Amino acid sequence: MKKKSPIGRRDFLKSAGTAVAGLGAAGVLGTSFTVKKATAAQTRSIPKTPIKAAAISFLSGAAAAPFGIPGDNAYKLCAEWINNHGGILGRKIELKSFDEAGGADTQVKLARKLIIEDKVDVILGYISSGDCKAILPLSDELGGLIIAYDCGTHVLMEGNRSPYKVPKYGLGFRSAAHLGIDNIGLALYIKKYFPGVTKIAGINPDYAWGRDSWLVFETAIKKLMPGVKVVKKLWPKLFTTDYTAHISALIGSGAEIIHSAFWGGDAVTFTKQAIGMGLFKKARMAYSRGEPYPQEVGMDYPEGQIICCAGTHYFLYPPADKWPLNKWFVEEFHKKYGKYPTYPCYHAYQAIFTYKAAVEKAASLVGGWPSQEEISKAAAGLFIQTPSGYLEIAEDHNGREDVLVGISKKVKGYPFPILDPEKMAVFPAHMVNAPVGIRTVDWIKSWKV
Amino acid sequence: MGNWIIYVLNGLYYASFLFLTSLGLSIILGVMGILNLTHGSLFAIGAFVAAWLVGVLGPQAPITFFFVGLLAAIGLAGVVGLLLEISIIRPMYNRALEYQLLITFGALMLIEDLIKMVWGGTAYYASKPFVLMGQVPIFGQRYPFYFIFVVLVGLVAGLGIWLIMSKTRVGVMLRAVSMDREMAKAMGIRIGPLNTLAFGMGAALAGLAGALIVPTTPALLGIGMDPLIMAFIVVVIGGLGSLRGAVVGSLIVGETRSIGVVFFPEIELPLLFLIAVIILVLKPEGLFGK
Repeated sequence: MKKKSPIGRRDFLKSAGTAVAGLGAAGVLGTSFTVKKATAAQTRSIPKTPIKAAAISFLSGAAAAPFGIPGDNAYKLCAEWINNHGGILGRKIELKSFDEAGGADTQVKLARKLIIEDKVDVILGYISSGDCKAILPLSDELGGLIIAYDCGTHVLMEGNRSPYKVPKYGLGFRSAAHLGIDNIGLALYIKKYFPGVTKIAGINPDYAWGRDSWLVFETAIKKLMPGVKVVKKLWPKLFTTDYTAHISALIGSGAEIIHSAFWGGDAVTFTKQAIGMGLFKKARMAYSRGEPYPQEVGMDYPEGQIICCAGTHYFLYPPADKWPLNKWFVEEFHKKYGKYPTYPCYHAYQAIFTYKAAVEKAASLVGGWPSQEEISKAAAGLFIQTPSGYLEIAEDHNGREDVLVGISKKVKGYPFPILDPEKMAVFPAHMVNAPVGIRTVDWIKSWKV
Repeated sequence: MGNWIIYVLNGLYYASFLFLTSLGLSIILGVMGILNLTHGSLFAIGAFVAAWLVGVLGPQAPITFFFVGLLAAIGLAGVVGLLLEISIIRPMYNRALEYQLLITFGALMLIEDLIKMVWGGTAYYASKPFVLMGQVPIFGQRYPFYFIFVVLVGLVAGLGIWLIMSKTRVGVMLRAVSMDREMAKAMGIRIGPLNTLAFGMGAALAGLAGALIVPTTPALLGIGMDPLIMAFIVVVIGGLGSLRGAVVGSLIVGETRSIGVVFFPEIELPLLFLIAVIILVLKPEGLFGK
């Protein structure tokens, strides 16, 4: 990767100004005119202090191991790279990590403190949809820029009815797509690779995340494959430790494909118990955010499971030879933390680099360090390269991405099953993201199949 | 038919966990009159120590290593229980219930933080025993032998506690204290050491239950909260301080959940609370409570 000049825009203009002013004194009038113009445009200074950024992820509890800690590690890795390559307009990022544990109330207090007392430039954070729903409204209330990096609920940025006004929050963003792409992607994949399936079931954690994921999946699969019958819908509570009853119910239902939005310990617990009870001999799972778990479970993870990657976030996609940025990200992350990056890591990359790109774009428009509002305006409509391909931040302040779905397979050279290279499918952003201002479920219902 | 047998076995497996957890809670509540909110934390200690021993020290070790984990969990949870009783529970005996709740809730937070300090915020996996014990065929379906093993452990533990309670001098004294504390005192029973013993025993049972769960689910912070709530439901249904109550309460909850998930998946959890509410209304002391 090309190293950026450590000289900031202001330093550059200053030194250029001095040099050319000298030439102007020697009688080169044309050049001195250019200098005046440049000086006039340079209306603001760029602070010498570092950028204060707060990275908030679960560092303890059930979501720490699968999401929070890898996500936080990715923030550190990216901030370090940015700092070693000239920072943002010459300013280094001073990244501080905070634990997302404690519930929405605790997080609201923390966000208030960070914005009002600590005066952070940006909050990059949140895995829990509940936390995001509580915190994004604070962005406008307190005048602080908040970039949600992982929380998946589709209702975060959507209005009550279509079409709705965008953006919902002036200074609040989500630098990733929502759960719509995962569940629509799964339905499209099933239609493509398993067109003969007639019996579907669902097992989802009994709270907003599980209910929303199932709603989108069920709406999409029924639209795409009208002949499909839902034979069982199970709602175990979050952090259930014993799924034996559910697994038996699923085996008894005769379902061929079982949808699930399980995450973290739940995904691992369910998979291990299901292996023991022989579920995978009778049915296959379709995990809406299953990408991290083959690596977590290891060689015991069953083959043939349909796995979605919450975007095109995968350590083997886009392939290293075609997309050097992913090669760099995977290698650096693996070197530093001993594991391959999982989707929360890619989401962290997206958040911090969305901020960087927005600041740089805004600065070039206003000539100097931009205000929060100017950064926000510049962020809407951004189109940036990421290790996973391209990310668009639409006018509704929500990320729009392609989605990758695949099927687990044991391949020599990897200590856990990977996505079968022959059966990976990428569904482009326009196929899985609802148009701006239209609710996801309304959009699916309007499909003409 | 095959499916039904599996549903019943699943219920028995879950009931076995509930029994081990709720029995300790019930003994502590029955004998000492202490509503112990740290019970879930003692469960968590058992889970972490077993997962740590199996996962970190002996990933390649034979299955016997798991038994070392079980014993270590019983031992450590028991010792922590003894220390808790001596340090913070003892001054609470003659205080109102609110004080017990506050002090045990404080201890619960403290133990959670201690677990975080010792084992960190990450997950510990110890699924080797679950995998190594393999499966047994039941009516054409594969059923993990580990689940049957847990049922057997529950049976043995229940039998052991029954023998202690009914055949030994200590057991008779414990029952006497649980029936009438003042009278037992008047008869010359030294209540102090008995309290410590009862608390340690209850804690050890919670530790055992915690250790038994980790081959099927990772040890994570907060792992003890769910068992604590479920154990309360069992105690409400079965009645305080009653071995029979713990057995029957666990079986009712375990089987209702197992069969309820199949037929009424939408109300999986409310169903259990509904039973507890009905019992509270019709027989507030529980099915076998005094």
